[in-house]
Amino acid sequence: MRSRAPLQRGSEVVRRHRPDYLIVLFMGLLMLIGLIVIYSIGPQRANVLNNLFGSDLSDTYFFIKQLSSLAVALVIFVVMTVLPYEKVLKWGGRLLAAGLIACGILAFADWTNLPIAQESLGATRWFTLGPIGTLQPAEILKFGLLVYIAGFLGIKAKEGKVNDVQGTLIPIGVMVAISMLFVIVIQEDLGTGITLALIVLSMLFVSGLTRKNLTMILIGALVLGALMIVIAPHRIDRIATFLKGDSSSTSDAGSYHIEHAKIALGTGGLIGVGIGDSVQATGYLPESINDSIFAIIGETFGFVGLMVLLGIFVALLMRLLQVMDHLVDYRLKLLVAGVFGWFGAHVVVNIAAMIGIFPLTGITLPLLSFGGTSMVFIAAALGLVFQLSRYTVHGSRLKEATNENSRSRRGLGRARYASRSSS
Amino acid sequence: MKLELVKGSRSRVLAALLFAIMVIFAGRLFYLQVIQYGYYAGLAKGEQQKRLSLPAKRGEIFALEHGTPVELVMNETVYTVFADPQIIKNDEKVIVAVQEIAGGNAVDDMKARLANKESRYQILATKLSRVQAKKLKEKDLSGVGFQEVSQRVYPEGGLAAQTLGFVNTDGTGTYGVESALNDRLKGEDGLLVAVTDISDVPLTIGNSNINIPAKDGDDIVLSIDRNVQAKAEQALADGLKRTGATNGSAIVIDPQTGHVMAMATLPSYKPGEYYNVPDAAAFNNVPTSSPYEPGSVIKTFTMATGIDKGVVSPDSTYVNTDYIKIEDRVVSNAEKGHTGTITLQSAMNWSLNTGFVTVAQRLGNGTEINQQARDTMYDYFHNRFHMGEETGIEVAGEQAGEIVPARSSEGNAVRYSNMAFGQGMNVTMVQTAAAFSALVNGGKYYQPTVIAGVIKDGQLIPQDIKAPAQIIKSTTSDQLRIMTRTARATLLNNGDKPGYTIGGKTGTAETIVNGAYTDKQTVGSYLGFGGDETARYVIMVQVSGKNLPMQGARHAMPIFTDISNWMLDYLKVQPKE
Repeated sequence: MRSRAPLQRGSEVVRRHRPDYLIVLFMGLLMLIGLIVIYSIGPQRANVLNNLFGSDLSDTYFFIKQLSSLAVALVIFVVMTVLPYEKVLKWGGRLLAAGLIACGILAFADWTNLPIAQESLGATRWFTLGPIGTLQPAEILKFGLLVYIAGFLGIKAKEGKVNDVQGTLIPIGVMVAISMLFVIVIQEDLGTGITLALIVLSMLFVSGLTRKNLTMILIGALVLGALMIVIAPHRIDRIATFLKGDSSSTSDAGSYHIEHAKIALGTGGLIGVGIGDSVQATGYLPESINDSIFAIIGETFGFVGLMVLLGIFVALLMRLLQVMDHLVDYRLKLLVAGVFGWFGAHVVVNIAAMIGIFPLTGITLPLLSFGGTSMVFIAAALGLVFQLSRYTVHGSRLKEATNENSRSRRGLGRARYASRSSS
Repeated sequence: MKLELVKGSRSRVLAALLFAIMVIFAGRLFYLQVIQYGYYAGLAKGEQQKRLSLPAKRGEIFALEHGTPVELVMNETVYTVFADPQIIKNDEKVIVAVQEIAGGNAVDDMKARLANKESRYQILATKLSRVQAKKLKEKDLSGVGFQEVSQRVYPEGGLAAQTLGFVNTDGTGTYGVESALNDRLKGEDGLLVAVTDISDVPLTIGNSNINIPAKDGDDIVLSIDRNVQAKAEQALADGLKRTGATNGSAIVIDPQTGHVMAMATLPSYKPGEYYNVPDAAAFNNVPTSSPYEPGSVIKTFTMATGIDKGVVSPDSTYVNTDYIKIEDRVVSNAEKGHTGTITLQSAMNWSLNTGFVTVAQRLGNGTEINQQARDTMYDYFHNRFHMGEETGIEVAGEQAGEIVPARSSEGNAVRYSNMAFGQGMNVTMVQTAAAFSALVNGGKYYQPTVIAGVIKDGQLIPQDIKAPAQIIKSTTSDQLRIMTRTARATLLNNGDKPGYTIGGKTGTAETIVNGAYTDKQTVGSYLGFGGDETARYVIMVQVSGKNLPMQGARHAMPIFTDISNWMLDYLKVQPKE
């Protein structure tokens, strides 16, 4: 068995080089697809809400809101690409604290019925900030946890203490447990809980957790997850619906959402009904513009369109792995691993629910779903990765030297990236 | 793009995991979108594609005024206000707004209806005008909706109510012309098969949409003349007031076409408020739907039969003893004292039953109302005068009445002797008036109708008049005109405008109360015509009431006279100098 111990670069300074522009390309493509879909179903969505609640939303209401969310997200992305990562890592603790405090305020506001806490469908997950819009404090928490644990675990990894139960695993377990308390128990948001878990698991996995510890943690997570499901009746319903699989019907209230997602996907066929011709978005499919946007994309662009979309998601996620692998500093490596877990969790959990192979949890499809908070924080995370892609080290020295021919004659720290960008 | 993942790094595991998941996703999507496409497309179609009925506009109903169509029944759009109590948060605000604008059209228990938060549909007010609905819409109350409802309006109020009938809440014509011609009036609803949004609003999406436009109902013009109808109703009302009768009916027919110009029944109702009528009897169009024993007015038909068969003439004589024996029964005259050898004209003038039993006997062997006499009478009464069968007039609920066939066990000599003066048979006023038209118009039977035509593109397209049947000789008709004129003149001095030909016959029919004929409750009727050389109108009037002995001459005839004199002016009939 090969050593899982990473190649140490010591205190060697990695030269800053050209970043991985493919990250921007894929992110931009996803944002654009989301924008197009929201543009095309926005009028239907506005119409549905107007009929339902007597509101007076214009046809372009959602498009303009999405456009402004994108603008904010892009600004944040740019900020994160230039904000020195050392500073970000240094603020990890404060970010985590901010996330926890925000969640605490939300819980308090909900408990005392303050108007800033927005209750929707029985759960309180949002701050209402008047004209600015809404803010989901769990997103801050995700980001805080990502940065803090990356820093914490990165140092532990460097010290080779990843598998130290007392010094490493228990502190992380406590942090995660506190976060989960807010997200799953108080906010009743299992989807975000799963995301949090996957962010941390990705980092632990990449940091070199032993198979034994990994198995223990996975079993623990599954047991806790099962517990979370058992204590909440609406989750049991969703599991029951899920277990019915394709035999559930639209007339059953519990399976209405998933059945309509399948109808949307199914009617899309091979090449889709075309832009602007989505019928499921006219009110049949719930949350058509947010959590269910994948199904609407499937209806609009068909199987072919979805394959392209999945391709872009995979490509972006692979870029993240690529960047991660070529970072030397373990904190940075784990940072990217966490972003991979974050982004991947959203993509996989959202799509799996839409196609009926995982229960509905209500999380967004990153960069595509309508909604500002998710977009901004994902953009922030990607911005950070983009910044880190300037500090990758390429060359045979990073690979295990098993092949003579792969030994590079180029100098250390030299970015090979520039010459490969078109490959 | 070539990925350069570090061997031994766990990124390869993550990448493998990612690819594995994506393969599952792709497989699943291929299953859902490509293999199961038909299934889901079918589900979607079943759910999204709706069959929406495009309601046809119900045809309007016109009357005539000197041959020009005038609106009698129109459509108007009114609004029903409904609420979704689940959406409405502030009940009080909605209640105040609806009450302020809808006033009396608001339901009384609005508070309770809105408090029913389980419900998603509660009616708050009905029959709002367009203006009221607009005002309420401007209040912009969420959870409050409007439904367009088309309803009938009657610019002439209750005019010709029983003839028209009304349209019930389902939009189906009930009673009268509305029911009889419901299919023509309602038109054909169109069909829109379209993909709709979740609130059933059709979308322009999809290529299997079907759009069959609605075919609006016919705008029907009645032969009812608004003014004649109004006059008939007024004269009838005056007559009832004068005589104390509780029920009365009148029918005015143009004997040259069979067009019914007026058909009135009292007591009446307002079709626009049919739901407030306590007794459905008021909906009954008596001239077409209430057969009765007509009494002496039938003597004109017995006489016509005798003359037409050539067995009698107005001047034929018989010996009147005020009694005549038919088998084991004795028929007596109501009016007594004109005994001796008298003419049938005299018998007509004094309405002597014995005279017309005599005519019936002469249709046989002269002393008996034998089978031949009965066959002849049945042939005339039923086959030629179309009594005892539906005329086919376009008013719902027409009744046939009954003429007992000569060859049935009931059709014996006693019955046929009674029929000679209008008892023992059941006929409607419209049958009688239509048959009488033939008696005075030269012998041509026109099927009675209330339809003059339809309006197409704003023009009246007249309905063809069915070719009449010559049911008696025109000479018979000529003699009947003179006989009835003489009979009328005998009873009436200076009642008619001078210079015209007005004739008629009274009828006082006993009714059966508790299984026996009684003269304590009789139906008074009058059947006559008017005009110059040609008969221009036939009018039949009937009055009755519980325990009222209504007489043709005293109670029904003045109503005829009232209408008749007015008709001469209205039709501008020129008097002979």
